[in-house]
Amino acid sequence: MPSSQTPSIAGYALDPTTVRPPLSDAEILRITPGELRETLVRLREEGCSMLLDVGGVDYLARVPRFDVVYHLLALPAVPASVEEIGTPRRVRVLVGVPGEHPHVPSVTDLWVSADWAEREIYDLFGIVFDGHPNLRRIQMPDDWEGYPLRKDYPLRGPAREATPRPSFALKSNVPAGAPPSGKVAEALRQQIARARGQEK
Amino acid sequence: MNVQVPPARTLEVVERNANSMTLSMGPQHPSTHGVLQVIVDVSGEIIERADMEIGYLHTGIEKSAENLFWTQAQTVLERMDYLNPVGNAFCYVMAAEKLLGIGDKIPPRAQQIRVLNAELTRISSHCVWLGTHGIDLGAISAFWYAFNIREKILDLVEGFGGARMHPNYLRIGGVNGDVPDGLLEKLDELIAEFPGRMRELRRLLQNNPIWRDRTIDIGTISAEEALRWSLTGPSLRGSGIAYDVRKAFPYSGYETYEFDVPVRTEGDSYARFLCRLDEMDESMRIIRQVRERLASGPGPVVVDDPKIVAPPKETIAISMEALIHHFKIVSEGFRVPPGDVYQAIESPRGEMAYYVVSNGNNRPYRARTRPPSMYNLQCLKSIAVGNMIADMVVMIGSLDPVFGEVDR
Repeated sequence: MPSSQTPSIAGYALDPTTVRPPLSDAEILRITPGELRETLVRLREEGCSMLLDVGGVDYLARVPRFDVVYHLLALPAVPASVEEIGTPRRVRVLVGVPGEHPHVPSVTDLWVSADWAEREIYDLFGIVFDGHPNLRRIQMPDDWEGYPLRKDYPLRGPAREATPRPSFALKSNVPAGAPPSGKVAEALRQQIARARGQEK
Repeated sequence: MNVQVPPARTLEVVERNANSMTLSMGPQHPSTHGVLQVIVDVSGEIIERADMEIGYLHTGIEKSAENLFWTQAQTVLERMDYLNPVGNAFCYVMAAEKLLGIGDKIPPRAQQIRVLNAELTRISSHCVWLGTHGIDLGAISAFWYAFNIREKILDLVEGFGGARMHPNYLRIGGVNGDVPDGLLEKLDELIAEFPGRMRELRRLLQNNPIWRDRTIDIGTISAEEALRWSLTGPSLRGSGIAYDVRKAFPYSGYETYEFDVPVRTEGDSYARFLCRLDEMDESMRIIRQVRERLASGPGPVVVDDPKIVAPPKETIAISMEALIHHFKIVSEGFRVPPGDVYQAIESPRGEMAYYVVSNGNNRPYRARTRPPSMYNLQCLKSIAVGNMIADMVVMIGSLDPVFGEVDR
């Protein structure tokens, strides 16, 4: 019986993006963090008007360690019909980021929608986006330690137990005997100050 | 014992001065459709600034998926957008199939069943959106009419996969079994009944003066702004750009079906509402076409590759090879050739996509989601400013966020 697994796969790929099968899902560009801004500005001038997504991948043993992946789509900035849009151009920009002091320039001034996506990568991978207006954790609690989507972040077992617990896991933020009123105004004020901290 | 229990409040005043007030809305507010906290500065009743806090529903689904077999990961990824479970699975299995090199070998019947399930889920997802959006605005009766349709669809979904919400019916390589006996007849009932149900819904809301007053010119977003905020789906089409993944990058045979892409140019909440209503009709149009194709009787619904698809249960007792294949798939999964792929589908909320990376192992190395709700919701920051605080719930509802997907 024919099988897609014959011949079987020999070993694991350190950098899967270089050995990918011939798929035509997008144009692919591989650049360094230094070239990022000019590449994206150029692509935007060429018509790739929408930043679909920014994602991160951690290739633990590879140099550079991380990939930040930008998905772009070329759509007209005016009302357009299905025929006018046709099959728009898709571009994928892969940016290799070193594991030591990972820094990437932010693109929030080019696309406002990059805001949450960049915060999420900072939150889950620990990659810093230079120039982001409000770079802080978005999915995990503010006092979380470690970056969960990194491949060396322990999932379970003794190593997971030994990682520092966030302070909320050790103590309740509601003092004993307090009426069950949900959030107290002071805690809310602190949270809002944090949320807007870098702007005030 | 006399304990004073203050009333539970979902809208708390944080700061107050002569002209303005800072309010915290949510995360337990009923009309945030989940757990969204919006911190609003209001002057009188006009919103001057809105900041959103998300992450209250973060469950680490992407991390879990990285540590499961390719087939198991589908189960957790399906729980991401809980109103569109089939769509999540659809997108993921197509990405995996592309990496496996079997993307063009999926039997046509399996593709038709997938399209049928995806379109049924689209209608049921829009039913939840319409019902809850209506409740936010005080139109409670629409909820019962919408959920009436949804109930019928969930019965069909249950017929396919055995579960109402998360059927886990799609497989890498096809679907899990052919259409069950009697299901097509039930589908015929739905098809016959649907236009009447939609007429009722439209009559309740579409020309309702209160509904129009509350939604027209609320939360307006231009085509250019919509692109800057990366809106997709009905939220983008409400602003005039007819981008639909099913038309622009057809998958699973969508290019062979005849359907239109509803589009409005106003860009307000009412335009998005109309887009979604029309989309429900278009989905039913696709379902009618699938129904005709499925009538041709049973056929293969999975690829003929025992290394990827477990053999049928009946053969396990009589064939040693089948038993071995089954055991291998269950105990160690299968390996997927290394590579990365971006696969998008049109979910009820917009372009939902997986960027899947395989390093040749039996687990996905990375399954990054492109969550349409997250990007759609982000633009609330911009469209809320200048509107009344009471219209906040209209704008949140018209963007149709699902928090399982925003926070993942």
